[in-house]
Amino acid sequence: MKFNFVFLLGYVEPLLDGLALTVKLTLASAIAGIALGFAASLVRTYGPAYARAIATGYVEVFRGTPLLVQLFWFFFCLPLLLHVNIGVGVASFAALSLYMGAITCETFRGSLTSIKKEELDACVALGLSRMTRVTHIILPLAFIRSMPTLLSNIVSLFKESALVSALGMADLMFVGQNIANTSARPVEVLTTTALIYFVVAYPLTRCVGHIERKVLERF
Amino acid sequence: MNYSLDFSWISSGLGLLWHGLAVTLVIALCANAIGVVAGFVIGMLTQSKSRLARLPVSAFIEFFRCTPALVQVVWFFYCVPIIFNVFLSPFAMGILAISLNLTAFNAEAYRAGIQSVPRDQHDAGVALGFSPFQRTTLIVLPHAFRMALPVLVTNGISAMQQTSLLSVVAIQELMYRGKEVASDTYRPLEVFTTVGVLYLVVSVVVAHALRVIERKRSFNYSAA
Repeated sequence: MKFNFVFLLGYVEPLLDGLALTVKLTLASAIAGIALGFAASLVRTYGPAYARAIATGYVEVFRGTPLLVQLFWFFFCLPLLLHVNIGVGVASFAALSLYMGAITCETFRGSLTSIKKEELDACVALGLSRMTRVTHIILPLAFIRSMPTLLSNIVSLFKESALVSALGMADLMFVGQNIANTSARPVEVLTTTALIYFVVAYPLTRCVGHIERKVLERF
Repeated sequence: MNYSLDFSWISSGLGLLWHGLAVTLVIALCANAIGVVAGFVIGMLTQSKSRLARLPVSAFIEFFRCTPALVQVVWFFYCVPIIFNVFLSPFAMGILAISLNLTAFNAEAYRAGIQSVPRDQHDAGVALGFSPFQRTTLIVLPHAFRMALPVLVTNGISAMQQTSLLSVVAIQELMYRGKEVASDTYRPLEVFTTVGVLYLVVSVVVAHALRVIERKRSFNYSAA
């Protein structure tokens, strides 16, 4: 069996387009998901009992089911319930964001519990309002302490985003599979696709360790 | 217009979903059996003194941790038969793909446990005349396993959820059956919700079992 990687040079552009879509989708859902996750973690840590139960239910459902099921559910079922046509892009973004929100909620919860009671008491003593307490004390502390885990959550999201290809989004995985099918050279194309994912994800995972050391040093 | 739920497909479709769930569970159990054992072996190898042993093992771990599981699954199904000229049944191939992914993640989980075995225990093993194999299985393994257990279970649950990716390569597990029933009955909402609930129940039950074990374990520690 002879392998020929050279023909892939003709497919650089579609592969990069696919990668661009993957990265855009990952970043958009990461931002929305992190905001959602932080809000959910605040509710789960400081909220009243009924709100805590709702937030816990949300996290359990999205962590307890495969992302593929969630994607299918958002794409096929949500339009039936809401009577609106949801495009595949919106469905993917919504499912990935909610999934990311559920994982980052757990990340933030860990760092919220590391904020000491004294620090919160100090806020009360200084007469800071509840909002200032959240935005100026809790948010920065929780964020810095969750940085390494958040980054690895983003890497997971980047990898998991390959699933949107099953809905027909033209992301890197979808483009790769398409080229593999049309060129009948799956080994070269799929290996290259895997390498592209690797090249993006590996340096990020290295950063996780680096940030971890830096953060542990200072906070 | 309001959407009205219709569960009349249950009579014909639920059997298929059960069948799919059984396939999912068998694949997940096999993958976990392989992943828990092979993960420890790989985890030990990352601590090896020889660079020659460490390098391929780290490459294996990093590769499986830094590429999407979906790419791995598709790669296994298309490329393994061509490159290595092996033709496994799709079922075996599915187990292989999921278990190798799980092995890489479990190796990382074991690593912290392996590293935390105190040097003294190792020396004591030597002093008592244990062979390196005995030291590994009788001293390092129990310690590392206990340390890694929570992460092993979390990884195991993720692996169970990842078996849903095998639907893409037409293995008839739960997700595949769900898609099949949904398109046969035109009832995607009810069917996919049921599928989601089935996955959720398995995940929650396993996660709860872990919590029970943890509680028992800490009790044992305090008694000892």
